[in-house]
Amino acid sequence: MPKHYRPAGKKKEGNAAKYMTRSQAIKYLQVSLSLFRKLCILKGVFPRDPKKKVKGNHHTYYHMKDIAFLKHEPLVEKFRDMRTYDRKVKKAVAKKNKDLAERLLTRKPTYTLDRLIRERYPKFVDALRDLDDCLSMVHLFAALPAIEREKIEVKRVHNCRRLSHEWQAYISRCHKLRKVFISVKGIYYQAEVEGQKVTWLTPHALQQVLPDDVDYKVMLTFLEFYETLLAFVNFKIYNSINVKYPPILDPRLEALAADLYALSRYFDANSNASIASSQTVAVSETDQVKDKKDGADLDESELRLAQLQHQLPSNEPGALMRLEKDAAGEDEDDEETKECRTLFKDMKFFLSREVPRESLLFVIPAFGGVVSWEGEGAPFKETDQGITYQIVDRPTQGHKFFSRDYVQPQWVFDCINARIILPTEEYMVGRVPPPHLSPFVVYGPDEHVPDYAETIKRLQAAARKEILPMPGLVGVEDLENPQNLLDEGIIDRSEAIEVAKRKRKLSILQKQHLDELNKEVKGEKLSFESNVSDKKSATDTGDAEVDHLQEGKDEEAMLKSSMSRKQRGLYEAIQIGQERKKAKTSRIKERKRLIDEAKKSST
Amino acid sequence: MKTTKSKQDSKPKEKEPVVHEEDPVVSDSDEEWSEDEGSDGSLSDSGSEQSDFTEDKEDLTTSDDAVSLDDEDDVGQGSQSESEDDSHQGVEESDSSEDEVAPRNTIGDVPLEWYKDEEHIGYDITGKKLKKKERQDKLEQFLLSADDSNKWREIYDEYNDETVEVTKEEAKMIRRLLKGKAPHADFDPHADYVDWFRWHGKHPISNAPEPKRRFIESKWEGKKVVKLIRAIRNGWITFDKPKEEPKVYNLWGDDQAEKAGGLAYIPAPKPQLPGHEESYNPALEFIPTQEELDAYQLEFEEDRPKFIPKRFLSLRSVPAYEKAVKETFDRCLDLYLCPRARKKRINIDPESLKPKLPSRKDLRPYPSTCYLEYRGHKGPVMSISTDPSGQWIASGSSDCTVRIWEIDTGRCLKIWELDEAVNYVAWNPSPELPILAVAVGADVYLLNAGLGSEEQHKIEELLHVETPAAPAPDDSSKGAPTVCWSQDEKHKGIRLKHTKTVSSVEWHRKGDYFSSIMPSAETRAISIHQLSKKVTQRIPFKLHGLPVSTAFHPSRSVFFISTKMTVRVYDLLKHELIKKLETGLRNVSSIAIHPSGDNVIVGSREGKMCWFDMDLSSQPYKILRCHPKDITSVAYHRTYPLFASCSEDGTAYVFHGMKFFVGIKAQMEEGSWTASSTQGSPGYSPLALIRLSSFSVTKKLATGQCIGHAGYV
Repeated sequence: MPKHYRPAGKKKEGNAAKYMTRSQAIKYLQVSLSLFRKLCILKGVFPRDPKKKVKGNHHTYYHMKDIAFLKHEPLVEKFRDMRTYDRKVKKAVAKKNKDLAERLLTRKPTYTLDRLIRERYPKFVDALRDLDDCLSMVHLFAALPAIEREKIEVKRVHNCRRLSHEWQAYISRCHKLRKVFISVKGIYYQAEVEGQKVTWLTPHALQQVLPDDVDYKVMLTFLEFYETLLAFVNFKIYNSINVKYPPILDPRLEALAADLYALSRYFDANSNASIASSQTVAVSETDQVKDKKDGADLDESELRLAQLQHQLPSNEPGALMRLEKDAAGEDEDDEETKECRTLFKDMKFFLSREVPRESLLFVIPAFGGVVSWEGEGAPFKETDQGITYQIVDRPTQGHKFFSRDYVQPQWVFDCINARIILPTEEYMVGRVPPPHLSPFVVYGPDEHVPDYAETIKRLQAAARKEILPMPGLVGVEDLENPQNLLDEGIIDRSEAIEVAKRKRKLSILQKQHLDELNKEVKGEKLSFESNVSDKKSATDTGDAEVDHLQEGKDEEAMLKSSMSRKQRGLYEAIQIGQERKKAKTSRIKERKRLIDEAKKSST
Repeated sequence: MKTTKSKQDSKPKEKEPVVHEEDPVVSDSDEEWSEDEGSDGSLSDSGSEQSDFTEDKEDLTTSDDAVSLDDEDDVGQGSQSESEDDSHQGVEESDSSEDEVAPRNTIGDVPLEWYKDEEHIGYDITGKKLKKKERQDKLEQFLLSADDSNKWREIYDEYNDETVEVTKEEAKMIRRLLKGKAPHADFDPHADYVDWFRWHGKHPISNAPEPKRRFIESKWEGKKVVKLIRAIRNGWITFDKPKEEPKVYNLWGDDQAEKAGGLAYIPAPKPQLPGHEESYNPALEFIPTQEELDAYQLEFEEDRPKFIPKRFLSLRSVPAYEKAVKETFDRCLDLYLCPRARKKRINIDPESLKPKLPSRKDLRPYPSTCYLEYRGHKGPVMSISTDPSGQWIASGSSDCTVRIWEIDTGRCLKIWELDEAVNYVAWNPSPELPILAVAVGADVYLLNAGLGSEEQHKIEELLHVETPAAPAPDDSSKGAPTVCWSQDEKHKGIRLKHTKTVSSVEWHRKGDYFSSIMPSAETRAISIHQLSKKVTQRIPFKLHGLPVSTAFHPSRSVFFISTKMTVRVYDLLKHELIKKLETGLRNVSSIAIHPSGDNVIVGSREGKMCWFDMDLSSQPYKILRCHPKDITSVAYHRTYPLFASCSEDGTAYVFHGMKFFVGIKAQMEEGSWTASSTQGSPGYSPLALIRLSSFSVTKKLATGQCIGHAGYV
């Protein structure tokens, strides 16, 4: 009898009924494999692991309900229609009926994905939760070259660029950006929108490598969904700040590839307009009705409006800030947003042409700074006296203005992650900047903390006018005589006194702790000795130590033998993981030690 | 030259159309000809109508004839009519000329040489001879030609023997022919194409009038048009609508959570966030050294780290990441090809997994140190047994000796030298009978330890067998002489001769009965002996599998037989099976029963120990897997809630089995010794004696507990 024998007339049960393999699913849905893939991607259907793999281990299993879900999808029928339509066109072409072919091609059936998006993300928050991959992908494609061979069309690349800029403009405008990190892979950004942390990666703005061993068809299907999703998300978030969605940009700035600046201007213009319009709501509504009637006129007038944005007060430097101040009074933002908004307050940045402009144009306004760049369409020129920081990334800077600091781009990113204005000495032109640390790392109890992280922590504390126990020699010295700190002007007198008190307390606590430790050690020994024997102290202590060791071993073995098999496996797995982690940190620490030694010996 | 056109025929067309045909060879108006000459020369050779026209005009002017009308007509009608007229004329002309001017000569197409010498040249139509004309001589001809400028026009017709004058038009025709053109001047070689096969209104073949239906609109077409009009009016048909972009609107406007179809959506895990090492400018300690990089090369490709940190000194020197597209693609694949399942993330402290064990201190007393060694055996000790009083131990070794030791001092009291290696020793549990049962090869000896002085004679009596008498009837009556009782004079004891090797001997609690096992004896493997009556009987139960060990219940008359897989519990009085304990083990090696009789431990050669509670179930209450190698023996303490196991890996564990489970591991001292037996001892001093190869040590602890290692003396 076969293993999974089912008598005739008896229904399938259990895993055999609940799950089906991919080829079964394809047969059931009567679609091709490529179409099945596409459907799975668009519908977000993924394989599942049945407890018992009835057809064998080498199959992919889908849940029956998922497949039924696909089966009822109207898109399947739509795809079928499209296929027959394609056949019609093909036939016309084959019969050299060019007219018919052209006519058919003009009215090809299309499909929309908005319903699917609503279905997959019933709430806006759900969409935000799943936005990471979407943003990374759209940003990647915005940086890719259009390739005919792989069917990456220019239109799509442009659309990706537009969508990514719109998203960035919103994040920048609303100061939602939290963390940035320049990695080898690109620049990571983390924003917090509606309480959801959204992290995405943008590649460095360079020619991207397009490998051959990639199925672009799959990627483009994903992109199709992601483009639609991001468009709807953008609409929603623009709507939430009362800005009309498909933004109309100044074509001049667009041509100069300053989309972000154009967008920010659009925002300013729009917010002004919205303030104005709020006073005359009724009028505007009637106007809108009229507007709808003459759509063509509207478009033209809108374009004119976009061009006129140039003449708006936002053109002046600092106008943006003023606007924001106005807005700040109204909004009730959380603490963090406020902190982010005011980080680069009253600072003017100027970007040299060699720095990654798009990234900095996004990041600096997000933290309240005003920024300009070298090139046409810039809000202000390099010679502007109000510029406080010029961001350069070149070995030497020829002409220098004394009124401003010349820093490397990493300074901006480090400042953002630390949420304080860091001293610029180490980021000067031509220097090797201090290590750029990831803001995403959470340090465990005995993990390696890089030196620069400690330095930043101290600086943060200083900025908050708190004193932390400082590691290393310098720290100890500083703590020991707060007068030093006083001289340096980091703290004022009353605080110096406080510090002194705290130091005393700390030392007392330390002593107590040490005493306790000592006692504990002694006590253990004592109790142990009493256990063993009082008479022979010298020999017994030796024995006791051995026994102590053995006891530990015994304990371990006994614990293991008394645990259930499941628990033991888990325990061992955890142990292995911890060992690995430990090995990693110890390796890093060892490297650090060697580097330090080498430094010492060289000095 | 059949056509003989004169000047006349062209001139007087209307007046006398026939006349000129009568005299074809008339020549006149020399000047006209000359005029023609000139005009012909000046005009183009194309033979266009224009040239004709001018010629005709000249004709008119000179001859003052009535041709003017005709010519004017020609002009008015245009080229086509003119040509038509011409052709018409020509046709008529030719017809008449053919009729009139049939060749005079009727000889046909024969060589004229035949008439060379004749007077006549041929015959006319009536048959009369045609006389040859007089020939002019050459000189005359020349003179004539010199005088007459039109002489060149005359052509001599040999056939008819007459001179023919070429008219002006004929000359022209000839000239055209010479030039390779169409003979008639009015022939247009590039005339517009006339499609004779198209007809308007009238079919060239069928002359029927156009049917009516051609003039009435079709009913069905009309209906179709009406349909289309309606469709257009109603907006069903639209023209050239610009392709509209997909509309974006507030999709989550109402923000009511729709119930999603299908199964619950499991969000994909987010990609891991980058650490310090992924920075473009990581701290120096994150960059692997050259040696580490080289070491990576030696590893398997899949073991190598996926990402190797690299340091760039400035942002401008960072290149594009070459795996960007590939990694995104991999992520895509993960998203739609990886099975997803909700998994409980176990983020627990591993310490919490450990069962809460009580501290060891609370579980005292238990043995913890080696206190004494009993040295003396020269071979591996196979088995030990303690005396019920707890004062003595007996040990059997493979050096063929059995020794009795005093526990407290380690003094060797007595030595028996036997013939073969000792497999097992067991002390009689009854304190009045200090008798040792020793399994040696195929024999079991019952030896007098000689300890209790006052009962010495009683024991000697007990250990006396009438050698010749007793065994014989036994054998005959049973029919199957498995065991033969005989007196052993050398050792002052009884010798029970078995058929096969005896592996173990167990005493009943009262010390009268004892059982022995011969594993290779199959159905007769287990036999029970009665000391007082010197009788042996086979057990009344069927054996299932190979017996490994047996045990008597410490208080009731219950007998345990363990085979390799199971332990069966029999009632000795009722002769029935009480219980079958499923060990789940494959190779049971030993069994021990708690003094109260409700707990059983079974040790196996897989290193596992099962603990059964007899009141609960036939399944093990707990399975302990502590030894990596075979467990050789297990034992209970007689009073404390302790039990112990010893194994071939050189260790013995002592467990506390009361509230919790605690073990104390007694590591044997030197390396590879094998623990062969444990033995719970009663009362006051040693708890357990664990016997090893040929070394024996016992040490006493301050608490009065003791652990014994068998050893060398």
